[in-house]
Order: sequence, then C-alpha cells, then structure tokens
Amino acid sequence: MKFEKKRASTKQSIPTASLPDIVFMLLLFFMVTTTLREVDVLVSFRLPEAKAIEKIENRRLVSYIWVGQDGRIQVNDSLTKLEEIQKIMYAKRVALPNVIVSLRIDKSSQMGVVTDIQQELRKASCLRINYSTLLKI
Amino acid sequence: MITLKKKKLPDAEIPTSSMADISFLLLLFFLVSTVIDVDTGIGLTLPEYTPPDQQELVPISKDRLAAVLINENGDVLLNNEIIAIPQISKTLKPRIESKIDLPANKKLVVSVKTDRKTDYNLYIQALDQIKDAYFQVRSEYAINRLGKRFIDIDERSDEMKEIRDKIPITISIAEPEAVKK
Repeated sequence: MKFEKKRASTKQSIPTASLPDIVFMLLLFFMVTTTLREVDVLVSFRLPEAKAIEKIENRRLVSYIWVGQDGRIQVNDSLTKLEEIQKIMYAKRVALPNVIVSLRIDKSSQMGVVTDIQQELRKASCLRINYSTLLKI
Repeated sequence: MITLKKKKLPDAEIPTSSMADISFLLLLFFLVSTVIDVDTGIGLTLPEYTPPDQQELVPISKDRLAAVLINENGDVLLNNEIIAIPQISKTLKPRIESKIDLPANKKLVVSVKTDRKTDYNLYIQALDQIKDAYFQVRSEYAINRLGKRFIDIDERSDEMKEIRDKIPITISIAEPEAVKK
C-alpha cells in the first residue's frame, strides 16, 4: 500500500493583491491628518509644565507668539519688536474674529515681557489667549 | 502550405508586486514626518483694554476676592497670608465650593498679580493651581449633583452649561502698574 501525503488542493500563497490597497489607505490617512509645519521657529524655548490644562480643539483659530530664552519675540515667521505686535495681531483679529493666541513662552522668562505682550494683545483686542504648556506627569 | 496561425499574444499585465513596497515607503515617510502635536495649555480671557485715565475702580467685597500676589522672589501671598504654591489649590477649593449656589454676581474672583521680575514658570504654576481648584470643584459637582463624570459630559449639553453657570472660572489678571524698571 502506498502512502501519500495529503495536500490541500488550494494554492499555497498568501494573496497579496490587496496589500497595496490597504497600505494606500493607511498612507492616505496619514497624508490627510498630517499638518506640515508652516513656520520656522527662530527662537529657542522650553515650555513650562502644568497639570490642569486644556486642549485647543480648533487649530485653525490658533495664532502663535513665541518668546525665546533670550527674550526675543517671534510672531508669524519673523522676529518682531514689541511695539509691532499690536498692528500684526489686529490684522489677524480682523481676518479671524475669534482668534486664539497661543503664547509659547520660555519658562525662564520674566513676567515683564509677558505683561507687555498681554497689554499689546489687549490693545489689539485679541482677548482669547492660551499659555502653551506641557503636561506635567 | 502556409498555415496562417494567429500569434498568441502573451497576457498583458502590469507587474504589481512592487506596488506594496512603493506604498510602504511612502507610508513610512509620512509616519516619520508626521508631528501630532496637540496644543495644550492654560486658556485665559484677557479683559478689554481701557486707557489708564478711563479706568474705573469697581469695588469688590472682600469675601468675593481671592488675591494672589507673586513677587520676584517667588513668595506667594493669598489674601495677605504667605503660602506655598502647591497649597493654593487646597486653599481656594472650599471658597469656590461655598459659592456654588450663590448668584453670578457673588461668585469668587481670583485676581493674579505679579511683579515684572517674577519668574514666568512660577506664574504658570500658580495659574495651574487655581485652574486645578476650579476643575476639582467642577468634577465633584458633576459627580455629586449630576451623577456623571465631568469628562463624559458633552461640551454643548445643558449640564455643561449648568456647571459653567454654577462654577464660572473667573481669573482676573491685575492691571499692571507703572513701575520703575
């Protein structure tokens, strides 16, 4: 009697035809969710940490002001003088009435510069602000 | 005799086996270059600007006001008592709680005042403590009176509105004084 190994009659290969489709779907997801960094940050800063923080849900409304370790101020993509903030932010506020200004201020800064920026923002009537912080763990 | 045999064409096929490799490469590129940075921070609404000569002083009764003063050495004064920053939350919480059922014009107002030379980090820590006190009161209110966790309540629901009405976060940034620099 002859013994014969039983073999499945189906093809022994993983069907890879749909693999590109799956990968393209993932790819598309990442392409859609990616927001490319629009501005180069010219100042170096380390954010403070806090516990009771909120997320800004709507990214489109956010406009940033950076303050570096050396006290330089950056709005949009260039360094700015303190006196010019009011003009720039007022233009932003006209374009986008409910703009949220995210203040990315280095944690070793002094309150003087923060207060000055806040006064400028008040003059430009950009009243919704957000002190950018990291989550303290 | 010549037989006119039709030449059999080979199957026209695009080789797609490398397609997966190519798309994986693209995928990896986007995976690596994606920065999912969520903007987190402490939100605040500034008061409207009024020129110094038009400012009016509105008297606020003592029991409504919690004045937080932070000087340049990092000492914190809460209602004329020196306390450490981590204690702010604990001190404020009972005061916020005692005013939950009072009308809107009797709620607590937290006023934060700093020096020009105060460390920004300390200011954020103090603000964090104040916000933390409010958040704790809000979440306890949500559990005790509404029977829900605060994070489960929808942003636009009536319950959230009720919480916002009962426990409004009123943090006032004191008008900077003209100081000698």
